[in-house]
Order: sequence, then C-alpha cells, then structure tokens
Amino acid sequence: MAECKDIAEEASNILNGDLPFRKRIALHIHLFYCSCCRNYIQQLKQTISTISVLRPKEKDTTDKSALAKKLQELSQNNKV
Amino acid sequence: MKKNTMPSRKDERLLIKQLIEGDSQAFDFVVSEYHNIMLSVARAIVGEAFADEVVQDAWISAIKALPKFEGRSSLKTWLLHIVSNGAKSRVRRENRHVSLDDGWESVPADKFDPTGHRYDDVHTWDNASPESLLANEQLQTIIENTFQNLPAVQRAVLSMYEMEGIKMDEICNILDISSSNARVLLHRARTTLHHSIEKYQDN
Repeated sequence: MAECKDIAEEASNILNGDLPFRKRIALHIHLFYCSCCRNYIQQLKQTISTISVLRPKEKDTTDKSALAKKLQELSQNNKV
Repeated sequence: MKKNTMPSRKDERLLIKQLIEGDSQAFDFVVSEYHNIMLSVARAIVGEAFADEVVQDAWISAIKALPKFEGRSSLKTWLLHIVSNGAKSRVRRENRHVSLDDGWESVPADKFDPTGHRYDDVHTWDNASPESLLANEQLQTIIENTFQNLPAVQRAVLSMYEMEGIKMDEICNILDISSSNARVLLHRARTTLHHSIEKYQDN
C-alpha cells in the first residue's frame, strides 16, 4: 500500500511516466483518495513549468562577444 | 511544458556552414546559445575550479573539428560531448574526485507521521500558472537563488532535461552516470525548487 511519503519520493517518476506497472498502480490508487498528494503533484508540475519558463542560468562571467571573436579568428586561421 | 526548441537539421546545416565560413553572427549565436550549458556540464564533472578552462578548450577543439562534423547528433549534443570528454580527462589528470551530489536535504522527515502519511494538508497554489508565479519578482529571485545553490550535477541534469530538452539517456552519457542516478538527481533538484516556492507561498 503506497503512502504519502512514497508519493513524495516517486513524484518525478510519476510525472515522467517512469515506473514499473505494479508501483504505478499502487501510487495512483493512493492519489485517487489523497487530495494532499494530488495537490503536491500539481505543485511539482507547476514548479517544473515555472523553471522551464524562467530558465535560470549558471553564473557566468565570460565575455561572450570576446570568446565568439576569438573562435571566429581561430576558425579563419585554421583555413590557412 | 516548454522545452528549448532545437534548430531544425536544415537550420543547423546552415549554421555549421556559416561557422566554417567564419560568419561572426554565427559565432555570436552559438556562444550565446551553448556556452552556459557547456559550463554547467563542465562544473558537474570537474568542479568549479577548472570548468572555465575546460569549456574554453572544448570550444577550441570543436571549432577545429567542425569541418569534420557529420551531423549524427545535434550540434548542441556534439558540443556537450566534447566538453564532457575534456572534463573527464581533466578529472583523471588532476586525480580529482568531485562529489556527485552533496548538500541535499531529503524530503523533510517531519512532514510525515511514522506510517508515512502527511501531517499537514497540501493546498493548491493561488497563482497557478508559471507566468503568474513569475510576475512576483521576489519569488523569481528566490527560484534563481535556489537554482544557483543546487549542487552542480543537479543543476546540469535539470538544465539539460527541463530547459534544453535533452533525453535522459543522452544526459547519462554526457555526465557518465547511471539512469537511476540521473533520475534521483532530477527529482532532488525539482523537489528543492518546489520547497523554495512552497515556503514562499506559505508565508
């Protein structure tokens, strides 16, 4: 019998559809009667969508224009 | 869910042609598109100290090898494999061990009773859509800071999977981790970000 803790641990696998059949059924039965876990899964989905929209980036201090220029020069020198 | 759109094969062939011809806009484009995710992969494998250098070297190798690029994968995946190989060699050379995943708090145990049931109710969020969540600048900053504080390998898995649309088996190849590890790392990253939003919503 699946409990709330199992849902919390397997939430990503539930959303990715990545679970063995028996486990999937057990977790979905729990979700059927537990509104807290349904809300939790919904919140996790919203978190994922929000990250995909916000697209947080690595901290990066590289001067990208300078790097692009350096690579372009290298590619041209390579031809010679 | 919005995933990063990959350039079509035709667009990518054109882009590669422009790069080989030395088109400066094409160089600006690839560096602005791919440098950050390359840095993420390097940090996940070799750690912060050598990541910048590994990425710079990867760019140089890639540009030199570009005329021989056969297009069997996307340009992005190809670049990520180059940076990954460079980072793995650097790890071997420096004889470094980078912790795969540290500093993670598991699902707080105090949320569940001994039988595994939640103590507290979980409510739906008032601001349901990403746009309404992100309309709040304070929350946006909280999410960004939480992302920056994730272990590097979690950031790399999350960025590749959620933002770059790279498939899980490819991510495992790039980072040289098992599929079950990758899934755990993705779940930990998502859960940590969820906690940060939840905490804000509860206050």
